Formats: sequence, C-alpha cells, structure tokens
Amino acid sequence: MASLSHALSSPQYILPPPALIRRQALAPRRHLRRRAPAAAISAAIQWNRKPQLAGETPRVVVVTSGKGGVGKTTTTANVGLSLARFGFAVVAVDADAGLRNLDLLLGLENRVNYTAVEVLNGDCRLDQALVRDRRCPSLELLCISKPRSKLPLGFGAKALTWVVDALRSRPSGPPHFVLIDCPAGIDAGFITAIAPANEAVLVTTPDITALRDADRVTGLLECDGIRDIKMIVNRVRTDLIRGEDMMSVLDVQEMLGLALLGVIPEDSEVIKSTNRGYPLVLNKPPTIAGLAFEQAAWRLVEQDTMTAVMVEEEPRKKGFFSFFGG
Amino acid sequence: MAISGDLKAFGTFASSCPKHPLRPALSSSKVQLGRFLNGVSKDLRITPKWPYLVPRTSGTAQNNHQCFGIERSKLSSATINQDAEGFFLNAINMNFFDRLSLAWRILFPTRTARRNSNARIAKQRLKMILFSDRCAVSDEARQKIVRNIIEVFSEFVEIDSQDKVQLNVSTDPDLGMAYSVTVPVRRVKPEYQDSEEDYKGKITGITYKDTGEPSDTVDVTFDFFIPNEK
Repeated sequence: MASLSHALSSPQYILPPPALIRRQALAPRRHLRRRAPAAAISAAIQWNRKPQLAGETPRVVVVTSGKGGVGKTTTTANVGLSLARFGFAVVAVDADAGLRNLDLLLGLENRVNYTAVEVLNGDCRLDQALVRDRRCPSLELLCISKPRSKLPLGFGAKALTWVVDALRSRPSGPPHFVLIDCPAGIDAGFITAIAPANEAVLVTTPDITALRDADRVTGLLECDGIRDIKMIVNRVRTDLIRGEDMMSVLDVQEMLGLALLGVIPEDSEVIKSTNRGYPLVLNKPPTIAGLAFEQAAWRLVEQDTMTAVMVEEEPRKKGFFSFFGG
Repeated sequence: MAISGDLKAFGTFASSCPKHPLRPALSSSKVQLGRFLNGVSKDLRITPKWPYLVPRTSGTAQNNHQCFGIERSKLSSATINQDAEGFFLNAINMNFFDRLSLAWRILFPTRTARRNSNARIAKQRLKMILFSDRCAVSDEARQKIVRNIIEVFSEFVEIDSQDKVQLNVSTDPDLGMAYSVTVPVRRVKPEYQDSEEDYKGKITGITYKDTGEPSDTVDVTFDFFIPNEK
C-alpha cells in the first residue's frame, strides 16, 4: 500500500490506478518516456491519468442486490460520481418507481422538477428531466417518478428501455455510462430495472442473509441474459474478520463465485455524508470508503476485477515469545 | 461456577489489546466497582465469547453472585461495559492459576474453538442454504426424472413396482446436494444376467495352513467353483 499512502499525502485526489500496484503495462498516452515495469513508483507522479474505457459505449450497468439496505444507492451515487470525476459522462437513473433515494444521496432533491414519467407522457423533454450536478458537471440524475404522485402502474420494462434508448440517441451524444439503481427485492421493480442493462454490479455484505439473496439474484440475472456480473462487498469489518466472527471476502467470493469489483470497508463517514447530501468520494481528505469506491469505479471502467486479499487469519504460532512479541 | 451470558465486548477488548488482556481491565473495573455493585440485583448471566471456556473458579465466588445485576434486554454500551466488568470481577475472584489458564485459552484458542468460530459456522450454514436453494427441483422435473429413470432401468432389470420408485433430494456435507433414486428390482433381465459359466474355474476361497512351526513348505488350499452340470 505504499503508493496509496503516497497518494494520500499529495494534494491531488485522483488515485493512481490499482494497475500501478499490479505493475501492468498500459497504453502509452501523453507520456514522454515509456514506463518500464521497474519504474512503477515514479509513474505515480502522473496525476492526470484516466482509466481507459473498455467495452462499447454507452455501458448500461445495473446496481442491484436483492436484499435491501446493503448499500446499492450509496454505491450508485459514489461510483457514479467517481466516474464523472474521471471525466466520463454518466447518467444515474433511480429505477425505484415508488420510493426515491438517489437524489437525497447526491444532494439534488430540491432540483428534481421533472421525472421520466413526465417525459413519457410528453409533458417535458428528456434533457429537462436530467438534473445536472453543479459540483461535477458530467453527472446527471434521472428519477422515475415523483413520490407524492399515485403509484405509476404504467412504468415497466419497456418504458425504461425506451428511456435508455432515448439517452443513447440524444442530440448531445450518448453518455459513457448509464448506472441504474435497482430497487430492493425481486419483483416487478427489479425486473423493470434489469431490462435495459448489459452488465450488473451486485452489492452485498458479508453476512449470511445478504449472501443468500445475492445468490438468488445472480440466478435471476443469468436467466435474464446478463452474464457479466461483478460483485462489490460492502460494509466489511476487518476486525470482525480477524476475530473470525464475520466471513472474509475470500469466503464470500468462494461461495458466490463472482468476480470481485471492490471491497468497501465499514465507514461511519457514509452516514455523515448521506445526512449532509455530500457524496463520500468528494470528501477532502478522502476516507477509506471513498478511496475504495474510487478504486472500484476504476476497475469498472477498465472491466477489471480484483482478487481478495486474505486477512491475517493464520493461527498464531503457539510459542512463549509470541505472547510478548505478537 | 460457570459463567453464562453475552460477552462480545470482552471479545473486542481482548482483540484490541492482546498482550495484557486482564491487567488494564482489572484496574478499570476496580474504579467502577462501586457504581457497578449499586446496580439492581438480578441474575447475572455472562457467557464468554468462546463457549468452550468454562473457567473453574473456587467456591468463594458463589456468594458474590447475587450482587451483580445486569438486565439482558438492555444492551447499550454501558451495560456491555458492565458485562465485561462483571466478567473481570469474577476473574478477580479466581485464583491465579485459573486466571492464567483462562488467559492462555483465550489467547491461543484450540483447534475446536477455531472450528466453532462464528465465521466457520456461518460459512457451513450458507453452503447448505445455497445448495438447497440452487438445486430445488420442481415437481414436474421430479416426475420426468422418475419416468426417465424407470425407462432406462427397464432395459436391464425388471422393476418390482413402478409406484415404489422414489427420488430423494438430500444435502450431504461432503457431496453437497445428493439426488438418490430408489428402484426396487425383481430380477435382472436374462440377457444381462451373470451366467454361471463365467465363474467356472474361478477361485472362491484360499486357506493357508499354518502350524506355527518354521518349515520350508507352505500349505495352501484353493477352492474352485465348478458349476453344476444341469
């Protein structure tokens, strides 16, 4: 983690990518000297490195989990904002037709005037319904419906697919990413949200209830045709893992069999930032959860995965001196 | 005296200061001892985090039992601290060697303790649950499986009764999900039966005669199978 501490001490808050830690050779872009693998540490000085977009644009990603409360909306907001800070055009869609939360997390709840239901009815244009964030202009928010209106029974999978196609063919150009925040559960709202998506990010926590639901959701996603499913493990407490009270991320990966996009540690900053309406990744200095979200966003862009590191679980060698030295 | 109750605070306490688990706790517990003993007297039930640990304390600890009062329903951080202090108060009343052995068992847990750790239990439960969720087969599929199996078996054997063929789905710790089909068989069809001719000349038994005396010879008797000529 030497490069991470290096980044923390610097004024810039765009992380050097995890690729540097892995010493992967990347395509030479605006570097005058070619980076040799041995010069990985000196390469950390290049501040304006952006991740390379892999896959076709726009990339439609659904953030789902099955169980509620594991951090889907938080993940959507923070990963979306990280992507926007990297310079990509991101549209975040809150696909929950009844209860709306993504606007609260981004701090944009006062600025949502029009929603997708009104666009479908023809009351307004699509760009009027997209709320642009002032702090980070590449991010736009689209909500499905106003919570005080009657339950929009008409909003189904076809409607959301139409909205995503309209985004794709809008005059100002398609966005690079469309992040769809899925509602909890596996009923009609879920089916609506996964309809237009090509990829899925499954958010889960390391406890047994969330993992069971995540497994069910994986089965449903694969039935629907979404094969590219990556996992983010949220709310990880390394102290409990070390004390063998919580399943480690390796266990989770083994049980679910999904590629790992990121591991987000439990951070009280998440609650504080939600309350303020100021997303976590914009914090200066960055918090551990914010850094983890940025790394996960980087891996999402490059369609990369990580391997979980085993927390020190080996039983301590029984010996007289280990009692003192540790 | 067996201590039984909920002692997560002690667990985290121990993990944060692994070197001297008892010493700082003892000093803090002495300070708050007065406040603690003024509490309402109810049943004290504290289990250590490691269920296998049952410290053997002397009999003098018994009379202090009633003074400790902790209500199990309220688990605020104050009561968790009191839980830990109660444990340590009991620890004070143990003699030195009991405390030492308790500390040793906490710091160096035995293999059975690691096997019963919460993470491992959770992993086992999750494995079972995932297997049963993933492999839950519908009724229609069951009927089809049974029918296909009856068809396949009928080629080789005569099935006793088709209604008695059963499909059982069970979870096995080694195999995971195990499907077993029970087929009652009346007899094997004649063309597939093992004929006795194949066994002609095969050895069915070997006896080795050993009198116990060292000798240069070995006495072995071979029994051969000769089918009855019909």
